[in-house]
Amino acid sequence: MLSAQDLPQPFDRKLAHALPLRPGTDHLKAAPALAAFGFLTACVGPQSALDPAGRDAETLADLFFWLVAGAVVLWVLMNGLMFYAWRAKPRPISPKTGRWLIFGGGIVFPTVVLAGLLSYGLSVIPDQRAPGEGLRVEITGEQWWFRVAYWPEGATEPIHSANEVVFPVGQRSELTLKADQVIHSFWLPSLAGKTDMIPGRVNRMSLEPTEPGEFRGQCAEYCGESHAWMAFTALTLMPEEFDAFLQDLAAPAVPPDTEVGQAGRTAFMAHGCGGCHTIRGTPARGNVGPDLTHVGSRLNLAAGALDVTVPDLAAWITDPKAIKAGAKMPAYDHLDPDEIVAMAVYLEGLK
Amino acid sequence: MAGHMKTDLPAHRNIFRMIAAPTVWAIHFLLVYCTAALWCARDWGSIGALQAVIFGYTAVCLILVGILGWQMWRQWDYFDDNDYIHDQSTDEHRREFLGHAGFMLACLSFVAIIFDTMPAIFAATCQ
Repeated sequence: MLSAQDLPQPFDRKLAHALPLRPGTDHLKAAPALAAFGFLTACVGPQSALDPAGRDAETLADLFFWLVAGAVVLWVLMNGLMFYAWRAKPRPISPKTGRWLIFGGGIVFPTVVLAGLLSYGLSVIPDQRAPGEGLRVEITGEQWWFRVAYWPEGATEPIHSANEVVFPVGQRSELTLKADQVIHSFWLPSLAGKTDMIPGRVNRMSLEPTEPGEFRGQCAEYCGESHAWMAFTALTLMPEEFDAFLQDLAAPAVPPDTEVGQAGRTAFMAHGCGGCHTIRGTPARGNVGPDLTHVGSRLNLAAGALDVTVPDLAAWITDPKAIKAGAKMPAYDHLDPDEIVAMAVYLEGLK
Repeated sequence: MAGHMKTDLPAHRNIFRMIAAPTVWAIHFLLVYCTAALWCARDWGSIGALQAVIFGYTAVCLILVGILGWQMWRQWDYFDDNDYIHDQSTDEHRREFLGHAGFMLACLSFVAIIFDTMPAIFAATCQ
C-alpha cells in the first residue's frame, strides 16, 4: 500500500538534496553551515516575495525593504536614545525639555512618519490593479486544485488547463479569480500580490512578469484538509514562445501511439474517467475534475503534490486520498495494476 | 488660583463629551467605507465625484472635531494654571482631567480622520 510519505514530494525533495545535512553527519558541526545556508537561500527561490520576477512583486519587495529599513533605523534610534539616557549621559533634563521630547518624539514624529508610510503604501495600490493588456486568465479555486481558463484577446471560448498558469513576459495579464464551494486565495509571490478567491464573487488582479522563469504559487487561505497540497506552477515565457504555447494548448490531445498508451486510452474511457475529466479530441468531456488534454506536458500533477511521471500518475489513480486527504477523486485500487500503469502511460503521453 | 473659582457646569462632568471626537472619527470611517462600497458596487458615478463626497465628509468631520477639541481645550484650561496632572477628587481636577483627555482624543481623531481620507487621495480606484 502506498502512502504519502513514499511518494515524491517535488519541492521538499529538491530542498532536502540541497541541504548540507545528511543522515549520519555530525549535526553540531553542520549547524553553522546549515544556518549560513538558510540565510543565503531564504530570500531566493521559485516562491519568494523577496526575489521578484514581476513588476508588482518588485513594488511589494520595495515596500518590504523600505519598511524593514525604517524599522531598523527606528530601533537603532530608540535604543541609542535609551543608551544615551541611561548609560552614556545619565543626567536629569528639565520638565519642559521632557514635555517637548514627549510631544515631538511621541506625537509629532510618529504622526509624520506614519502619514509618509501610509501615503507610500496606498500609492502603490492602483498600479497593482492596473488593467491588463490583452490576455485574461480565469482561475477558479477548487478543492484542492486550480481550474485555469485562458481568454486571449478577442477569444469567444477559453482554452482550459489546470494547476499551471503561463504568462507572457513584458505584458500585463488580467486575472479573473473565482472559487467553488469555499474561499481560497491566489498567491504567486514571485510575480504579484495575493488576492482571495471567494465563491459567488469575481475578484480581479493583474500582473506583469519581467523575466522568463518557473515559479510556484500556493493557495493562501485555509480551504480544507488538503489546503497545504493546493499549489500550482507558473511559467513566464517570452511573448512569441507564449503564443506558441497557447496554440499548442488549444489543440486537441495527441495520444501516445504506443501499444501500452493505446491500452491506457481504452481503459481510461472504459472506466468512466471521462465522466469527470475532459481530454479534448476524445469522448472524455467531464467537467468535475481537471482538464487532462495536455496533462503530460504540465510541470506538476495533483496541484503540486506530484510530478508528471508514470509512477506518480499510477500512484494517484490507485489511491488519490493517500496522497491528498479528502481528494474528491475516487480510488481505482480495484483495477488491475497493469491497467493502471497503462492509463498512467497514456496520460503521461498526452503532450 | 483662578481655576478653583470656576463654576462646574453639568457639561463639565459629562464623560460623553470626552469621547465625542472619537465618535465623529468612527462615524467618518463608517461613512467613507459604506459610501465607497456602495458607489463601486452600484456604479453611482465617477471616482472624482466619490472623492468629492469623501472630502466633503472629511471637511465636516474635521470642523466638528476642531470645535470639540477647542471646547475640551477650554475645559482643560491649561494656561490658567499649567496643570496637567489631575489626581485629586475635586470638581476642578475632574473638569480638567476630562478636558485634557478629551482634547488629546480630539487631536488623535483629527489625525485619524485625515488618515481615513488618504486612500481616497492615493488609491482612488474601485478595483
